[in-house]
Amino acid sequence: MSSRKGRRDAARVVREQIAREKRRKRTLWTTIAAVLVLVIAGGIGWAVYSSQKSDDFTAPPGANDAGTGIVQGTGPVTIDLYEDYLCPACKQFQQINGETLNQLVTEGKAKLVFHPVAFLNRFSTTEYSTRSSAASGCAAQGGKFREFTDQLFAKQPPEGGAGLSNDELVDIGAGVGLNRDEFASCVSDGTYRSWTEHVTDEASKAGVTGTPTIKINGSELRDRSPEGIRAAVEAAGK
Amino acid sequence: MTVTPSPSPAGRWQTLRPWLGVAARLGLAAVWLIAGGTKVGDLAASGRAVNAYQVMPYELATVIGAALPFVELALGLLLLAGLATRVSAGISAVLLVVFIAGIASAWARGLAIDCGCFGSGGQLAAGETPSYLPEILRDLGFLALAGFLLIWPRTPFSVDGWLAGDDTVEDTDE
Repeated sequence: MSSRKGRRDAARVVREQIAREKRRKRTLWTTIAAVLVLVIAGGIGWAVYSSQKSDDFTAPPGANDAGTGIVQGTGPVTIDLYEDYLCPACKQFQQINGETLNQLVTEGKAKLVFHPVAFLNRFSTTEYSTRSSAASGCAAQGGKFREFTDQLFAKQPPEGGAGLSNDELVDIGAGVGLNRDEFASCVSDGTYRSWTEHVTDEASKAGVTGTPTIKINGSELRDRSPEGIRAAVEAAGK
Repeated sequence: MTVTPSPSPAGRWQTLRPWLGVAARLGLAAVWLIAGGTKVGDLAASGRAVNAYQVMPYELATVIGAALPFVELALGLLLLAGLATRVSAGISAVLLVVFIAGIASAWARGLAIDCGCFGSGGQLAAGETPSYLPEILRDLGFLALAGFLLIWPRTPFSVDGWLAGDDTVEDTDE
């Protein structure tokens, strides 16, 4: 090994060391930058969500004490029904079980608490789930919650579109006997939007992850047939 | 630095690898941008999707659910730019492992939920069955992309490469 080559090698080692040090620093700074970007992004998400959230709400007349749903009837057994007006399975559920539920209420066997949750806002371009639920609060104010709900399911728009417009909601409301002007201003002001948010949040907290969900005295019912519901109510009422 | 003009297998790998790296980087970037983008419009729903896994209190789930879409978008942008690729790939891998664990645990516990991976989370319509296995396999595929970038983070057209400039001596550790 010549000394000349030795010197060249030594110089190369030093150069490599300097380069390695430069790389180490660069890696450190880009790492810090990347982690900062991610942390800030997460913080922005939380801030945006917090600013969207409203803490106070006014429950419409006819709501339960917790303000999480509209009550029909006074029976000893409590039926909690969680539905989204945009959910096709809910429409189907209403067609199959609506009659039975009404009977149980009028027979005085059960109290029906209807929770109009807005789970499916992403499936319409206009937040139809929230708008229709808030409108149902307006209908409750006018004492026509059940009639309005039945009509909303009967005229349910398809998922993925714009849903029914506020004007169409007002037409439906007027059609079931609500005062058009009062109802229209309630719908366009979004009076019960924060209530809808409360209903939806509380449903999630109660472990409801899908619609329709039906609970009899607090426990979820898997058999969603008229017979199943009736049997569960009879059993719970004993 | 291998200068092999002959198309030996090793040489082919050397010419192919940077392009596979770009594909992995952009692919993973697309995954995060789409995953974040579909969730960012409805942060409350994102929180509900997290809550549906029933692994944390509701309040915490809403925080995670609100932060996650933005973190996913940021990860997507970092990968798209090729900035701190190894770190971004590492964090991607950690997130994916957490997601896979979450889906697997939902499966094991018999929960009937949608993974919420690309929006539409939490609830399943009646009669709809969860598709846990395809979701897990898909996430494993994404994990493979992240793994590739963890091992070989340096790719063409990246900010990392631009920052490194001409100092290309052993350009494998970044």
